[in-house]
Formats: sequence, C-alpha cells, structure tokens
Amino acid sequence: MQFLNPLALAWALLAIPIVIFYLLKIRRRRLPISTALFWRKIYPVREARSIWERLRHLISLLVQCALLALLVLALAEPIFLWQLRAARRVVLVIDNSASMQATDIAPTRLARAKELGLSVVAGLRFRDELAIVAAGTEPRVVCGFSGHQRTLERALADLPPTDGPTRVADAVALARGLIDQRQVGQIVVISDGCFPDAQPLSTAADIQWWTVSQRSGNLGFTQFQVRRNLVDPIAYEILAEVRNSADETARCRLEIFLNDQIVDVVPLELAAGETWNRVFQQSSAKGGRLRASLDRADALAADNQAWAVLPEQKPQPVLLVGPTNLFVQKVLESHPLVELTVLKQLPARWPADAITVCYRQVPEKIPPGNVLVIDPAGSCDLWQVGDKLTNPLVTRQDRDSPLMAHVRLDNVLMPEARKLVFKTKPQVLAATLDEAPVYAALERPAGKVLVLSVNLDQGDLPLRTAFPIMISNALAWFAGEHGQLRESLATGSVAEVTLPPEMLRAATAAPVRLWPPTGESRALPPGSDKMLVGPLERCGVWSLAPTSADHSDLPGTPAVAVACNLASRQESDLRPAESLLAKTPPTIVAAGLFTRPVWFYLLAAAFLLAVAEWFLYQRRWIS
Amino acid sequence: MELFDSAFLQRLEYLSLVSRRVFRGALLAQRRTMQAGGGIEFADHRPYTVGDDLRYLDWSVYARHEQLLLKRFQEEEDLHVYLLLDCSRSMEFGSPRKFDLARQVAAALAYIALADLDRVSVTAFAGEIVADFPLTRGKNRILSLLKFLESLEPQPGETDLARAAGSFVHRTQRRGLAVVISDMFDPRGYERGLDLLRHRRYEPHLVQIFDPSEAEPSYLGDLELIDVENSDVRQVTVTERALRTYRRLFDDFQTSLARYCRNYGLSCTQSTTHVPFDELILGMMNARALAT
Repeated sequence: MQFLNPLALAWALLAIPIVIFYLLKIRRRRLPISTALFWRKIYPVREARSIWERLRHLISLLVQCALLALLVLALAEPIFLWQLRAARRVVLVIDNSASMQATDIAPTRLARAKELGLSVVAGLRFRDELAIVAAGTEPRVVCGFSGHQRTLERALADLPPTDGPTRVADAVALARGLIDQRQVGQIVVISDGCFPDAQPLSTAADIQWWTVSQRSGNLGFTQFQVRRNLVDPIAYEILAEVRNSADETARCRLEIFLNDQIVDVVPLELAAGETWNRVFQQSSAKGGRLRASLDRADALAADNQAWAVLPEQKPQPVLLVGPTNLFVQKVLESHPLVELTVLKQLPARWPADAITVCYRQVPEKIPPGNVLVIDPAGSCDLWQVGDKLTNPLVTRQDRDSPLMAHVRLDNVLMPEARKLVFKTKPQVLAATLDEAPVYAALERPAGKVLVLSVNLDQGDLPLRTAFPIMISNALAWFAGEHGQLRESLATGSVAEVTLPPEMLRAATAAPVRLWPPTGESRALPPGSDKMLVGPLERCGVWSLAPTSADHSDLPGTPAVAVACNLASRQESDLRPAESLLAKTPPTIVAAGLFTRPVWFYLLAAAFLLAVAEWFLYQRRWIS
Repeated sequence: MELFDSAFLQRLEYLSLVSRRVFRGALLAQRRTMQAGGGIEFADHRPYTVGDDLRYLDWSVYARHEQLLLKRFQEEEDLHVYLLLDCSRSMEFGSPRKFDLARQVAAALAYIALADLDRVSVTAFAGEIVADFPLTRGKNRILSLLKFLESLEPQPGETDLARAAGSFVHRTQRRGLAVVISDMFDPRGYERGLDLLRHRRYEPHLVQIFDPSEAEPSYLGDLELIDVENSDVRQVTVTERALRTYRRLFDDFQTSLARYCRNYGLSCTQSTTHVPFDELILGMMNARALAT
C-alpha cells in the first residue's frame, strides 16, 4: 500500500495533545453533596465499578485515538498497488447524431444511450478514468479523462442532441488516439448503428458495441432547396425530395408555406424505399422563410420539416440618362424590380440611392454610386475613349463572374465598339481578340461601375437574350449580395456569411449574434464582414442578428438567414443492420463493491465511529 | 444580626398575630396536646404499634372490627415545645442554605410559642446533641434565643437522629411537642429517632427542609461525589438514567416520610428552601387548621 499524500501522516501527532487532554480530563470534577444516601443505592458496588471505570476510560481513549488514526489515514490517501495496476482508461463514444433523436425507443435513442452511459460511469472503479466523446456532427471530447463520477454524469446529462450526421467512425479514431495504446484502455460505443460503417466497427476487437435502436420506418425530406428564376426576378423554384425509408408504403401530404402562408399542397404515396422529388414554381418579390412539412408522425421528427430562405427582392430605382434608345429603356422597364426615371441630359445633381445608366452621354466625372455606362461617347475620370473597334469579336469572357452568368457574347454580331483605355485596371468581363475590353467592371470606394463599349444601334446584341440577362445580372451585381439566393445547408455544414455594411457599422453598438432555431444565441467575433459560422447542428433557420431592443433574449431584425435541413438519406433511415440488433450487449466490467477510494471507506468508518462514540458518550458508557 | 434583622422580627410578630387571631393558636399553644392516659376526653384512635400501652387499646372496636386501635385522649396543660434543630453539614446546602431557613423556622415557632406563654427549648443536634437552649418562657426571652440560634454553626459528623433523640428523651423534663427541623438525611434512617420520641410520649412534628437541587440534580458526567457529612468519596459517571433513578429514589424517600407521619398521626411539613420561612409557617398553620 502506498500513500498519495504521505505528509498528511504528520497529523498523527495530534494524538499527543489528545492523550494530554485526556489525562487532564479524567481528573473528575469534585462535587460535594449533602448526602450519599441515594447515590449509594444507585451505585452500590464501588470496587467493581472502579475497575469498569478504568476500562471505560481506556476504551474512550482508544476510540478517540482510532478516530484520529482513521482521519489521518484518510488524509494520507492510501492506495493499493493493485488499484494502480488495474486502473482502466475508458472512452465512452456516444452517438448524438440526428437519428439518435428517434423515439422508437422511449423516450429517445439518445436518452437510452445516456442511461447506458451512466451505467458505465457507475461501474468505474477507483483510479479508473473515463472520457466522453460525442459522435454527432463533429466528433468532440465533451469530457476529458476523469474519475469523478459526478462530473462525468453531468457531462452525460448535458450532452445535447444534434440534427447532424453520424460521425462514429471519426469519434472512434479520436477515442483510439485518447487511449494511446494502453493495455487497460477500453472503447465503449453506444449508437443506433444507422450508418454504413457500423457493422465493421461493431466487430472491432478494441470496441465494445452497444446498439440502441430497432428497425423503424421513417419518411423524411432528403432535399429542399429554393432558387430565383433566371428569367423572372420575382419568380422562384422549389426543389423538394422526400424518401420513404421504410419497409412498407407510406402516405402523407406535403405542405409548403411561405412566411406561414400556405403556397402549395401535394398528396404523396411512396412505396417502400421510394424517393419522390418535384420542382415547384412560385413567385414572390417579398421573399421570406419557406417551410415544407409532412403531415405524418413517425419516429424521427427532424426530417419531417425542411426550411429554405427566399431573399426579398427590393425595388431598384434606376436613372437612365442619354438619348432615347428603346432597347435600353424597354429592357429596364421590363425588369419587375426597376423603378425607371429617364433624362435626356445629364442632371445637375445625381440621385444618391439610384442606379445610374448612362447611354452614350458620359459626365466628366462618373457620379458616386452604381453606374452602368453603355456605348460611352466621351472620356471621363475613369477611362479614355480611343479609336473605334470595327467588327470586334469577343474571344474571352469571364465565365466565373456573376455578371456573365448565362451570357455568351462570342456569337453576337457587333459591328462597332469603342476602345477604352482605363486609368485603373478594370475587371474585364469580355474582351476582343486583341484584348480590347468591350465589357468591364470597376469597383470604386464610391460605387461600382460597369461599362459596355458596344454600339447598340449596330449589331444584334439588343436582340439577343444575352442582353436582358446582362442587364439583369448587372442590376443584381449592383444590388450586391442582397437579393441573391442562399442555398439550404445540410446539418453539420459550415456557412460562409457576409454581413451587410449597415449591420457592420451598427455592430459596435449592437453586436451581431448567431441565433439558432432553438436554444441560446452565440456571440460572433466583431470587426469582420465575412465569417464562417457553424457547424450548424440543428434543423431550422439560423440567423445573424443583433439582440432585440425590446427583449434581450430575442433576435432583432436578421441581417442574414441560413436555412438548415437534415437532408440526409443516411440519418433518415432508422433501420440498422439485423446483425447489429442481434448483437449481444457487452458486459461492462462492473466495479463491484469496492468502487471508491480507500480514504472514502476510512472516512465512513470514522463517521460511524464518531456516531458510536457520541451514542456511548450520551449514555455515559464512555467519557 | 443579619439572619434575624428587624424585618424578620416584624414578620415574626405578624405570624404570632396570625397564629392567635386567625388560627386561634392551632399551631402550638392554646391547643390540646394529645397525651395518652393523661386526659379525660376521648380524642380519636390510632393504629396500635409495638410498645404502646395495652391499657389504652379499644377492645370494643377490636370485638367489632378485629382491629387493634389505641384510644387517644386530650389533655389541656401548659405546652412544652422542644425544637430539635439539625446542625449537620448537610444542612449547609441549598440556596439559600437549608440551615438558615431551618433557624428562621425555629425562631418563628419559638416566637409564636413564647408569645402564647408556652415553654420553649432549642436542641441543636448532628451526630449527637451539640448545643442547647434551655426551657424558657416569656416573650422577652426571644432575643437571647435568637442570639443562640445565630451562634449555631453546622457541625461535622453524620446526622444521627436516633442518638440525639436518645440523649434528648433521657432528660428529666416534661413531655411536649417535639418539633424536628431537619432534612432527614439520616444515613441510619429517621424512623428510629422518631420512634424514640413517640414512645417517650413526645409528640413529634416534622419540618423537612430540602433544596430543589437535591430533589432534581442536574449534573452529568464523571464526578467525584463527596458526602460532606462523612467525607465519603464516590467516583461515579452520572447518566440520564442514573438521574432518573435518583429522582425516583428521592420521591420514594419523601413519600415514605409522609407515610410514616400519616401512620402515626404526626404533623409533617415538607418544603424547599425556595419557600420563605413565613410562608412555610403559614402553610403549617393552614394544614394544622384543616386537620383540627
């Protein structure tokens, strides 16, 4: 036996004052009485009693010394060598992925897994250490190696459910790293086994596998996305995919809501294992939150709803300056978001928040804000107009730029264009064979500038579908990210978001926080307009917003909203392999009776001794 | 005289007046002593005890009820009041001391008797008779009696009422009322001493004074109990259980004393030191008045 704290043995010196005080104490208090008439009857035999008295005092001293010895030994923390040798390092891997929220095992698979985890914790012996690794969304150590049962129990109780994917294999790899090849290391995995690698993992030699599931059918969304229509700026398309992960046919109704207003309903009947999908066409300039739901209660609720965010398309005021060109004017008027104003001459004062379209007329200094210049007739502060380009052929265009999305200019007949010499290097969107830019973008601190040097009166560009698409792309580019589509992410993903400038400016006064669909918000690092948020572990709409002025626990107007769906065939399929269900639960080495450190038993013995001493003292059986 | 100050003397005068006017001398004087064979008027019966004069047995009662009862007669005469005061060490106990209260009671009874022209003597005893104030008569003798009482001190040695009573009854003196003022903690038993007084035709009257701490002790733990009368040292560990036994024994002792007095028709007053002497005397008067 060894002592972890041998210096504590010095407390044994307290025995000296105890003996001294004891010797002082046994000098009895002398009490004169008027008569011994009655006491003589109570204590009739003096000799026998005095022997007992001496014995009684000795017992009392022994009891006190024993009490001191127990306490000193407890402080010294004795430990047996076999306890040191037999100490285990156990890693408990608990699957908290989306499928573990299935209610086919009451109350949930995860709750049952926690119960089993608690039994593992309860089976720990003194000097055993256990770490808890969560295997949902992102494998992480939720509690490092510890032998403190209350800490482990609290960590287990606090383990949150997630809607993320199963990452048991990664978690097991992490657990193996934690154990570090120790002979007494153990890995206990508690999972529903609803993932492809479950079978080989469950048979691994170093893993004790515990399956908490049963074969349950489930119907859920495996895809839900929305995008704006390429032609109609206010139209949008919804892609919905539903899979029946069951062994029998399922019937239900699919309902789609925009801002809680129903927009479509579809009855569904899916055969066993069938996947159904459809694209829905709808229109709305206002945008909002799309929610689809299946009106069928099954074991997993997380995939019975899906969300998507449809950004609002705000009206764009546009000022068209220059001689009348019906192609330009009509293509702008046809855009449902454009509020067009037409001027023949350059205005004395430029509007602050409008997109300016200069056709041929070019001011000496390009006004602040977003400006589209078409067929510039003169030079300005950004470029010099050079010679005419005759029959320019577009041989190079920036296919990665959103400005050129769905636009092809290489087959467009353009008899005339103007050569532009830029004073600062532009982003060339389309250039001729001799690298003369015909369509270029400039980004200034005062605003964005697009210049198209093609003469629209000659050639067929206004007659091509590329022209309205170019204008539409240009308007979208001027609008910035506002108005762009943001795809719905799968749970566990990381989203890259860009804060709008006005929110970035207000961030010092009202810091932006990440608001999950449920639960507490998280603060975001200040000072950055672009950031990565996630992994997004819960289904629903996540938003970046400052705290509401009225309620500190509610978000204000969100700047960015990100929809997050389970969208996982693997997680929606709640049917583990039969071999996993048939697998015998592992026998966790029970701790037995001697589960606590020696000092605990010493303290318990000291407590019992103190109780007994108190009992005997109260009855004056000892002093 | 701290023990018998002027306030005390005023209380004595008050008690004397109360004794004569309210209780008509029921306590001591102006009353008929109960002397067997000395009187002519039948008073009552009492159970026969060994040593009683067989001439006073009521044979007619025996014929009817088969009970041996002794006839008692009343006899009017000058009352001789003998105050037997316990001066043992045990009387030093109490708060106030039992001895002080006992002396005050003795003084009060003596004053009442002297005021009624009865004869009074005081005999202090412990293991034996230690001091005497001879028979005296007349109220003017009260001061010298008080001085005698005040000069008394508790004496060493165990209480021995039988020995003191033996010496007392062998004196050549008239029979009368023998008031024993004591705590009655006689290790040899109080019965023998009282029997001696009774058998020698004294009329014993007991005034037992004890301290509440003697009836209800509260000390616990390891103690070295020292009997102040014989210096007997007893090492004990007093437990709650032992205290309960002690209380029961003390109650039994008190009950046996009262039963003894009741059996032999003796007056018995049992009081704690917390009762002032005048209240104790008034209580005695009340009890006496009810009895007569």
